[in-house]
Amino acid sequence: MTASHFIPLTLIKATPILLACLGGLLSELSGVVNFALEGMLLMGAFGAVWASFVTGSPWIGLLGGMAGGMLVGLLHAGASLSLRANQIVSSIALNLLAAGGTGMFLNQLFEVYGTSPAVPGLPTLAQSLSAFFPSSMPAGPWVRGLSLMVPMALTLGIAVAALLKWSRWGLDLRACGENPYAAAGAGIPVLRRRFTAVVAGGALSGLGGAYLSIGELSQFVEQMSHGRGYLAIAALILGRWHPVGALGAAVFFGFCEVLSEWLAVRWPRFPHQGFLCLPYLLCVLVLFCPLGKRRPPSALGKL
Amino acid sequence: MTRPDTAIFRSLREAGRALSAPLAAMGCGLLVCSIIVFLSGTHPWDFLAVTWKGSWGSGQAVAATLGKTTPLLLTGLAVSIAYQAGFLNIGCEGQLTLGALCAATLAALDLPLPRFVLVPCLALAGACTGALWAYPACLLKQRRGVHEVITTLLLNYVAIHLAQFLVLGPLGDGSAMGRTPEIPSKAALDPLWESGALGVTAAPPAALLLALGVQFWKSRTVWGYEATMTGSNPAAALCAGISTDRLQRRLFLLSGAFAGLAGSLEILAVHHRFYNAFSPGYGFDGITVAFLVNAAPGWLWLSSLLLAGLRSADKWLQILLGVSPNIIVVIQAVLLLAAASQGRLRERAAALFERTRRKPGGPSFPAEGRAP
Repeated sequence: MTASHFIPLTLIKATPILLACLGGLLSELSGVVNFALEGMLLMGAFGAVWASFVTGSPWIGLLGGMAGGMLVGLLHAGASLSLRANQIVSSIALNLLAAGGTGMFLNQLFEVYGTSPAVPGLPTLAQSLSAFFPSSMPAGPWVRGLSLMVPMALTLGIAVAALLKWSRWGLDLRACGENPYAAAGAGIPVLRRRFTAVVAGGALSGLGGAYLSIGELSQFVEQMSHGRGYLAIAALILGRWHPVGALGAAVFFGFCEVLSEWLAVRWPRFPHQGFLCLPYLLCVLVLFCPLGKRRPPSALGKL
Repeated sequence: MTRPDTAIFRSLREAGRALSAPLAAMGCGLLVCSIIVFLSGTHPWDFLAVTWKGSWGSGQAVAATLGKTTPLLLTGLAVSIAYQAGFLNIGCEGQLTLGALCAATLAALDLPLPRFVLVPCLALAGACTGALWAYPACLLKQRRGVHEVITTLLLNYVAIHLAQFLVLGPLGDGSAMGRTPEIPSKAALDPLWESGALGVTAAPPAALLLALGVQFWKSRTVWGYEATMTGSNPAAALCAGISTDRLQRRLFLLSGAFAGLAGSLEILAVHHRFYNAFSPGYGFDGITVAFLVNAAPGWLWLSSLLLAGLRSADKWLQILLGVSPNIIVVIQAVLLLAAASQGRLRERAAALFERTRRKPGGPSFPAEGRAP
């Protein structure tokens, strides 16, 4: 296995974490704690599979994934902003709701337990490139396994970074997270900004979920997010609440996942669970290292 | 008419005021739950009847429910005691798993100790493992300011994979099942009362006593008062000369210890060996148990009985009604969501009540001292 295998695999594994992390970034910069990323990923994955199953088009599936994530975002915003629930407890409840709800819907809509039937998935990068430029592109190992959503996620990352840095909306958002009273004094509707930020974050995380179900695979598996939402929050902390940092951290976690799978293949006699805990363990260890100044938005979690 | 103002009435009114928020939350939660049940194609009344039958309807059902109450009560206690000091311990699942593994492994060694020494020692060993597994999260919080929720969550995954690795590898009984050898009968807790294949051991009453003990500690001792103060206002507690860091550290370790104890009691009382994935998420349920009653240790028995009943009824729901057992998780989530937003829900409910009460020819002046 060489770098030409490692790098695309790393990007494949980093994509859902990056998308969820961007979603969390929007929400946390506006001052709302969002541990519900796990639930958004799951609901996004399920919504994508269901929409793709019903319509037969993976592109509508992608929209369904966004809608699934937005639904969780809407519930989180409603509970924590309109009803003033404890934001962490509300997130935990929503993660539970997504875990139970997707299992229940799977049973109700597809009448199966555990795994959904196969649905149309998104094309890979190589397929869509050869559709547009027939004959010109030889599919090397670099692009073979890459889903179309990998470059899409990177573009979205740049877009979110630009939006936060240069747009009026991004500035308002950051003001709401740093000092909501000053923001309200300047005439920014703080609650509405936070509401939109959480819901938009839900849409981004839902895209991450859609990537898991119809980008990487073409079916839904119960609990398929498997802690990636929590890794995304860790990536947010590691990346110091900055889009570029988030990208770096997501790539790091993607690399850890690839490394653990590679090690498991390399030593098949060793129970592979020993390697599966590697990304999580490395994440805790990295959090121990002093990596620059780590400061969350000042008004995070306050109303 | 004057209102009776004797001590009894006053305390009754206060209890009513304290209970109104959780009750309003429960009401909203149950309403949403019955709508969900109805939408899933079952009559809510059938659902309730089957749930009751599966959790309290027969001797065996009662034994199953009480057996499940122990780990739920203890993990709920773990979450609640950390919350007293202002910490959220979401890592109970990992602490419970490793505590159980430690107790099962030590018990399988068949140490030459008398029974009344061996059983408490095993339970304590599990508790210590749980506390040890909570320590890194506490350290990260206090040294590096990393939120404890994220570290405890990540440590959960590490613990679960680590336990799987250990029972498939060095600590297992050699089979591919992923389990440790069975513990000798002198290390297991005997049932006090039996119904069919299931028995109730001394574990549920012990857990209840622990919870009541924590309630006493919280409301009647200096240390408990200091902890409550640290949880509600750390800055004021620090000014009052309480060493908040040390207090929070101790309570966090204690929280991990309760979760580890839940795991070791589960092994000693129910399973008698460590299985891969033996816990159906007891650690995560502990969060619901704690926050359904606002993390008050004295009321945890109520919420843990409720959740244990739901958990032991889930297979009956699947057999008799054909409902996916996942509905239990959904109900739990809805109840938790309602409990988390109970303050505001009560305000809304009170406002609605005021409006409807005053509508038919009520007094036209504004109510006393209330802003419009």
